[in-house]
Amino acid sequence: MEVMPQYDLSRLPENTALKQQKLPAHRLDLSASVVLSIFFATGGFCLCMGVILILSAKSTKELEINYTNICANCAQLREDSSNFDKECTCSVPFYLPENMEGNVYMYYKLYGFHQNLYRYILSRSNRQLLGKDIWDVKDCSPFQVSRNSTPIIPCGAIANSIFNDTITLSYNLNSSIHIEVPMLKSGLAWWTDKYVKFQNPRASDLASAFAGSAKPLHWTKPVYELDTDDPGNNGFVNEDLIVWMRTAAFPTFKKLYRRLKRVDYFAVGLPAGNYSFNISYNFPVTVFRGEKSVVLSTLTWIGGGGLFLGLTYTVTGALTLLASFAILAIHLMLKRTKKNFL
Amino acid sequence: MKVRQAIPITSELGDISKLAKFDGEVICEPPNNKLDKFSGTLYWKENKFPLSNQNMLLRGCVLRNTEWCFGLVIFAGPDTKLMQNSGRTKFKRTSIDRLMNTLVLWIFGFLVCMGVILAIGNAIWEHEVGTRFQVYLPWDEAVDSAFFSGFLSFWSYIIILNTVVPISLYVSVEVIRLGHSYFINWDKKMFCMKKRTPAEARTTTLNEELGQVEYIFSDKTGTLTQNIMVFNKCSINGHSYGDVFDVLGHKAELGERPAPVDFSFNPLADKKFLFWDPSLLEAVKMGDPHTHEFFRLLSLCHTVMSEEKSEGELYYKAQSPDEGALVTAARNFGFVFRSRTPKTITVHELGTAITYQLLAILDFNNIRKRMSVIVRNPEGKIRLYCKGADTILLDRLHPSTQELLSSTTDHLNEYAGDGLRTLVLAYKDLDEEYYEEWARRRLQASLAQDSREDRLACIYEEVESDMMLLGATAIEDKLQQGVPETIALLTLANIKIWVLTGDKQETAVNIGYSCKMLTDDMTEVFIVTGHTVLEVREELRKAREKMMDSSHTVGNGFTYQGKLSSSKLTSVLEAVAGEYALVINGHSLAHALEADMELEFLETACACKAVICCRVTPLQKAQVVELVKKYKKAVTLAIGDGANDVSMIKTAHIGVGISGQEGIQAVLASDYSFSQFKFLQRLLLVHGRWSYLRMCKFLCYFFYKNFAFTMVHFWFGFFCGFSAQTVYDQYFITLYNIVYTSLPVLAMGVFDQDVPEQRSMEYPKLYEPGQLNLLFNKREFFICIAQGIYTSVLMFFIPYGVFAEATRDDGTQLADYQSFAVTVATSLVIVVSVQIGLDTGYWTAINHFFIWGSLAVYFAILFAMHSNGLFDMFPNQFRFVGNAQNTLAQPTVWLTIVLTTAVCIMPVVAFRFLRLSLKPDLSDTVRYTQLVRKKQKAQHRCMRRVGRTGSRRSGYAFSHQEGFGELIMSGKNMRLSSLALSSFSTRSSSSWIESLRRKKSDSANSPSGGAEKPFKG
Repeated sequence: MEVMPQYDLSRLPENTALKQQKLPAHRLDLSASVVLSIFFATGGFCLCMGVILILSAKSTKELEINYTNICANCAQLREDSSNFDKECTCSVPFYLPENMEGNVYMYYKLYGFHQNLYRYILSRSNRQLLGKDIWDVKDCSPFQVSRNSTPIIPCGAIANSIFNDTITLSYNLNSSIHIEVPMLKSGLAWWTDKYVKFQNPRASDLASAFAGSAKPLHWTKPVYELDTDDPGNNGFVNEDLIVWMRTAAFPTFKKLYRRLKRVDYFAVGLPAGNYSFNISYNFPVTVFRGEKSVVLSTLTWIGGGGLFLGLTYTVTGALTLLASFAILAIHLMLKRTKKNFL
Repeated sequence: MKVRQAIPITSELGDISKLAKFDGEVICEPPNNKLDKFSGTLYWKENKFPLSNQNMLLRGCVLRNTEWCFGLVIFAGPDTKLMQNSGRTKFKRTSIDRLMNTLVLWIFGFLVCMGVILAIGNAIWEHEVGTRFQVYLPWDEAVDSAFFSGFLSFWSYIIILNTVVPISLYVSVEVIRLGHSYFINWDKKMFCMKKRTPAEARTTTLNEELGQVEYIFSDKTGTLTQNIMVFNKCSINGHSYGDVFDVLGHKAELGERPAPVDFSFNPLADKKFLFWDPSLLEAVKMGDPHTHEFFRLLSLCHTVMSEEKSEGELYYKAQSPDEGALVTAARNFGFVFRSRTPKTITVHELGTAITYQLLAILDFNNIRKRMSVIVRNPEGKIRLYCKGADTILLDRLHPSTQELLSSTTDHLNEYAGDGLRTLVLAYKDLDEEYYEEWARRRLQASLAQDSREDRLACIYEEVESDMMLLGATAIEDKLQQGVPETIALLTLANIKIWVLTGDKQETAVNIGYSCKMLTDDMTEVFIVTGHTVLEVREELRKAREKMMDSSHTVGNGFTYQGKLSSSKLTSVLEAVAGEYALVINGHSLAHALEADMELEFLETACACKAVICCRVTPLQKAQVVELVKKYKKAVTLAIGDGANDVSMIKTAHIGVGISGQEGIQAVLASDYSFSQFKFLQRLLLVHGRWSYLRMCKFLCYFFYKNFAFTMVHFWFGFFCGFSAQTVYDQYFITLYNIVYTSLPVLAMGVFDQDVPEQRSMEYPKLYEPGQLNLLFNKREFFICIAQGIYTSVLMFFIPYGVFAEATRDDGTQLADYQSFAVTVATSLVIVVSVQIGLDTGYWTAINHFFIWGSLAVYFAILFAMHSNGLFDMFPNQFRFVGNAQNTLAQPTVWLTIVLTTAVCIMPVVAFRFLRLSLKPDLSDTVRYTQLVRKKQKAQHRCMRRVGRTGSRRSGYAFSHQEGFGELIMSGKNMRLSSLALSSFSTRSSSSWIESLRRKKSDSANSPSGGAEKPFKG
């Protein structure tokens, strides 16, 4: 045993940092200074952010008018789906107390409409909406084909349930002069949706391209007549359709309906005064105990209002700062006792 | 080496034809596991012949000093003693494994609960809202009621939420364990240069259990000791030789020794023999008669066989390594035992060959504890040479040696204090007449029919009296390198070490002292040697009483005894003050392990600092391990090198085999193997500790991340009509566990270190959290789960709160499902990445790469999945087109992600920091304090607590067995004679085996069902 051959070192493990578990490394130590600086920095940041967010949220103006019950007679009419071809309009007057300056956006807001149901979300055909294969309706259950077995275009539960009220806003300068507020129907959807996700079939005439198809059950007009004035907003690329097709995450949601066209009276926004919404009431909500309203709102740098983010930031910031001071106090106390101990 | 002989009547059957005619019948004990006992009777030719263990060859034996033997198989297969001793092989798994299985079951239950809640929710929702919503989304044709919808939704939710049940956990755990096993294999510090063997993790499933060991059961020979005896010191005529002095005349420590003594004057010297004290050789060369006589004794009084392959190349075959060491020492000092015949011994005394006439060998046995030879030198003088245990021999000296006796006793005590095995040497001159007369009486006694042993002992006793003291030898049973240090360190780590050995009590105790398990500082060492149940019970009871009396003066042991429940007993005994040790013999252990006493034994043993079980059978070793496993609920580790340790190794939670020895059975049965006992400290304190730590951190994080990930669906259920809509994109769900979060946590599980490896050796207390199972238990699990659920709540409700009101900066809707999904997924990936960053204590480049890489890969995949190209190709599969770029361009989204991260992480940081400053555990302290040197000193003191103390304790230990003397005198064992007897060649052997087989089948209906085996040796 004593005289060992010197050659047999083949089994000697390699002396590498990895194999000997000696990789150079940084040890993560939660030292007091690091933790405290993280806490103070986070606290400060959150608090500042919160204040900024609250201030900017406050600077936006928002006006919401729930017209479910204002247009009660229309609501009742729509509860019976056999009345789908009967027109029902109602006018909702309101007073705007102060100017809404800047870009003004008009939204429709639905309460209790579940666009996030599992089967609902899936019930669409992207291939169809891409204009590639408009007859592809296999994912669209339960709205694939009409009663006489012609494929529905656009198929699926989402498209079928499109929000089809038309809302216009008129500015009542006085009791006799009603000026319709000019609104833009474009720029409501993402660029990628409008130009990538939704495309009309390549055909000179949309109506002929869609010949042989059925319109969705709830629709009053076929998809190629959604906007007959503007071919760039007709068919699948109609922005109202695109906006609707981007399903909401929660049962209460608002979707952009129109943008203010800032011309003439409205160059700086909506002046204060009397307005009225003229609503063609088509979309039934009372059947599922939902509600709907129309919202006018301005934006800030961060987007639409909502105090939640600002408040949460403020609270988080405040709590973090409090915690920082507590930690600091504990740390100092311990430091003293430790010194005594040593 | 053990002596085994055929019974005389069959040993004469050295002829195949005679063997073929053999038609005896054996009636013997049923198969059992006692290795040292056999009783049976051979009926042959109307005569009975007793068969004992002396006539048995056990399965697995290797013949030495004889080339062949004939035998009869008595038991085969599972009936052999070896197989009876082997325990059942059990599937080993760690406690964390078992806990994990329980937890996974719980999680499964939790999953079902969530499924039920959501299913009920779905039924109610469908009933209240869904029925009205049918205009927009009619129910499936198959669904006819809200109840059925709820039922379907239950299964949908089971599928969606199944990610709480961590399927990938098992795979990841195995990967981590594999990594840890490789680290063990790769460890250079566990590579034995001498034997060229690296440590080897033979299993990859037990690593983290190495960090939880509480009891170590160790074999002695080959594990603690090298089984090499070294002639270390001697005392001749009142003068002690063998101490090593350095140049300045101080006793030298190991490592600074001068050159060993040069034995080149002696051509027959053994080159491997090393001795450092030159004065002894000088004394020999000066012709000191005492020294000469001393070595003459060593060269004559033994049962070693010599073999001379070529001129001057001597090989000694000793029955015990002790004897080998003594004879080798004599050889190097010029008294070379050259050869022997049954009647003579030839010794080269300083170059001259002298042949002594061997008159008698008074053999060794356990009662006599000594052996003698009577020789006639060439001048015709008869002399008796005797060597034996000091306690026995010192009483049999001539009164005239009183003075020498006292100085020798001093030396003996000194040697014993060093843990050396001592023997006292003495001689006596005999008259020719006296010897003749004595020899005659001896012959008579040996022919006596009854109580032959006793009579012989009497006769021996008579002649071995009034001897002249020559001196004493001290043999070092060489410990494996670093054994005392390792034991001290492991003891400091609160690991209890029990030595289970087949050796005799003296040897075992001796080793106990030399490896510092037993110390003279100990209050008492209890020795249990009772042969009956009552004796053992009494001895154990006394031991307990003593321990309790000393710690609780109030307690009157008698009322305590037996009246208190065993649990109370434990609590009393665990608080015992003072250090005690227990030494228990195999036959006592057999009683102590019986069902009604095992608890008593366990309590007593556990109250002791050190436990040594000697003369235990392999199965008893396993039983002891099993006992501790059963009642102490502690992790046990068994370490051994031989076939007799296999069952213990298999029984213990972790079995360690010492590799590089002759046998390989232990290694084959083991879970880990390395070649030196000292590597155990590294295996446990470094590898085991880290494995445990890593595994615990890994499991905590894994459960956390899965809960944080999955519970979001649960909250979302309340907003989506319980329709089993997922929050995330399906690709995210698929990739989350596999790609986005697996590698960082794997890297942590493989590489993490809390303190550097040196520190875990310096502070063995760091090992304790593992033993107490503090880092991952049910409580920790619930904390992780709670943290996961907390994270999921924030992860869902903060984006919900923000999205409910906000719009994008271009006025369009923000709260669409897809943007929400991307926001939640992104914040989830960021939060769990920050969390793993916090959990990772040791940021290597690999950790950096994996953590940053995971984040980068997340965003890369996100953008790829949401790209126009993929959508163009598969519009129905990649529905999220354009989502990433549109959503992640929104400041609101990023503010939400930052806020979520801050709210999820800050409390964790605060909590950890506060725990660190208010209730730091040792590893934290070690990291933070600079008191390293202070502690080190304390530790060194601890490790050196054993000084040289001169207690009056015999260091006598001699691994010798009875029987060799007789063998030598009879001449049967001599290789020469065996050659002479090889008249029947192997050619015919097959035929006689055939005939024997036929015989055996004929006698198969004999009641014992066995046969007998004579063997020629």
